[in-house]
Amino acid sequence: MTARESEFAIEARGLVKTFRTARRRPGALGMLRALVAPERVSTTAVADVSFSVGHGQLLALLGPNGAGKSTTIKMLTGILTPSAGRASVMGIVPYRERVRNARNIGAVFGQRTQLWWDLPARESFRILRDIYGVADGDYRSRMREFDDLLELSSFWDTRVRHLSLGQRVRCDLAAALLHDPPVVFLDEPTIGMDVVVKEQVRLLLRDQVERRGQTVLLTTHDMTEVERLAERVVLINHGHIVLDGTLAEIRTRFGSGWRVNATLVQTEPATGRCPPGLRVVRQDGARVIFEPDGTDGVAPPQALKRVIDRYEVTDIHIQESDLEDVMRAAYLDDRADRELDGELDGETVA
Amino acid sequence: MREGWSTAGITALGELLSPSRLTGTAARMSVQLFLVVCLWHALYSDTETSGGLDEGQAVAYGVLAVLALRLRDTDRWIGRDMVIQQIEFGTIVYWFLRPLAPWRYYLRRAVGDQLYGFAWAAAGYVVCLLAGVMDPPASAGAAGAFAVTFLLGQSVLYYLVLLTDQMCFWAVRNDSAVEILQFAQNLLSGGYAALWYFPGWFQTMSALLPFQATLSVPLSFYVGRLPVDDLPRHLAVQLFWVVSLAALTRLVWRRAEHRVVSQGG
Ligand SMILES: Nc1ncnc2c1ncn2[C@@H]1O[C@H](COP(=O)(O)OP(=O)(O)OP(=O)(O)O)[C@@H](O)[C@H]1O
Ligand SMILES: [Mg+2]
Repeated sequence: MTARESEFAIEARGLVKTFRTARRRPGALGMLRALVAPERVSTTAVADVSFSVGHGQLLALLGPNGAGKSTTIKMLTGILTPSAGRASVMGIVPYRERVRNARNIGAVFGQRTQLWWDLPARESFRILRDIYGVADGDYRSRMREFDDLLELSSFWDTRVRHLSLGQRVRCDLAAALLHDPPVVFLDEPTIGMDVVVKEQVRLLLRDQVERRGQTVLLTTHDMTEVERLAERVVLINHGHIVLDGTLAEIRTRFGSGWRVNATLVQTEPATGRCPPGLRVVRQDGARVIFEPDGTDGVAPPQALKRVIDRYEVTDIHIQESDLEDVMRAAYLDDRADRELDGELDGETVA
Repeated sequence: MREGWSTAGITALGELLSPSRLTGTAARMSVQLFLVVCLWHALYSDTETSGGLDEGQAVAYGVLAVLALRLRDTDRWIGRDMVIQQIEFGTIVYWFLRPLAPWRYYLRRAVGDQLYGFAWAAAGYVVCLLAGVMDPPASAGAAGAFAVTFLLGQSVLYYLVLLTDQMCFWAVRNDSAVEILQFAQNLLSGGYAALWYFPGWFQTMSALLPFQATLSVPLSFYVGRLPVDDLPRHLAVQLFWVVSLAALTRLVWRRAEHRVVSQGG
């Protein structure tokens, strides 16, 4: 199967990754036992992950710490071989044909650098150009582009060991994109960046996706980034996929979706005369926040009308619920946890 | 096609960009050479020959040993590019994300480092020769035998170092292995003192190990302690070590690639 034939740029089917590690009990006895009969424990980092990403799509892989995001990316980039399941990137099984796969992908693991520590960043770019066999002309124009978007030239002659975290990660991004790979994996690419630089990176990624048609899979803990970038998100928790859809779907499933912010003319307790279908979230003097109480599925325009009918207001508007709140609810979602624990009990992992 | 050969220049470039490291290396080498020359002259002050080596041979051997040990002495630690560091920092993942297989990358880096070290050694050699500190090769034949066995000896050394680096894929720390190897290498290769001075049983033991093929054999050809007629036998032994270590490390590479576990992230 060639890249052209496969409908998806990235495909994960039932990926599982179990790590076996030796556990050592404390004390001398524990040390002895670890030598004679090491006690092995297995951790399931990824329990069952399936999703696919079409060519030219940007997908954000979200989930709390330890959810299995990085492990999933390591399998998709071919670093780790899955314990079960199958992955394919541009029609190639990444962990079987690492070198061939390498030409199709670029990767940044934000917390670790691929740049040579003792050399100026620009020398690393030059070395990577040779490794990937990038033509001189392409190399120059790409470097110019990266410089325009990420302002690299102010520090690319500095040794990597002297770069600040944000500068270093920017160079790492350029290094990963240098050979213009069709698929890009970014594991926390904006770690350590200030707001201005984060915006630059977003512009760069937008440009890669929209103009160059690259497929991007990214993980991040920055919700603003998700809101600005991702059309589609895959939410993963405890190694399972919790949701695969749009941000709007996440909002409807885990958040109340919207709230009504109103400023009343008279300062009165709003709770007593709350309009039907709504409840008061918070009242702070004349300012009241309402949200749907879930009884009659009221829509935002109706809710506005009901509030105006009931009170005299000086100001009123609908506010989308904050994505951070939604994600907090999603990550903490008990229901999903309980379902998962049930599944995990009965599971045997190869 | 450049095919990533510029990876060979990484260490050299890092060194050339920091003049203080260059002067440091030059100073260290000069001091070591000076001490070695003084030491051997002193040891021979009331002996004619020892272990079959006369004073001139002993000094030449000692100087060459210092120069040769310089070949793999480049500090890769500072560049965070030792395999152990790569595994510890998790940056080893990038070795598996490039269209240059890890073993090729490792080989090119090593070849580059050894060539860089060779440049230093060669410069030191020329200086010592011109200054009259040491004698030239015993004969043209000896020079030829030295060149061939030295090259093969460096290959044996490459595989020995590679083997200790590969251990990092299994044990998080390889310090003790590295220490043992370094000690064995320095002692059993004849780096500290020519093996000719050691008792017979010691020479027999080291004949069974790969270390003497890296240094003792080529240097002994240089000073004329080994007759050029012995060349075929020593070449055969060196080739045996190169081929078997190459096969072994290749096997280990394959297993390492399957079990690479990247920590954290
Ligand atoms: N090499 C390993 N050996 C043992 N356990 C591991 C290993 N790598 C990861 N794990 C475990 O697998 C789980 C998932 O880890 P992973 O790094 O994929 O999480 P993550 O979603 O990327 O989290 P974060 O947001 O914190 O980066 C964690 O519980 C982790 O402890
Ligand atoms: Mg992670």
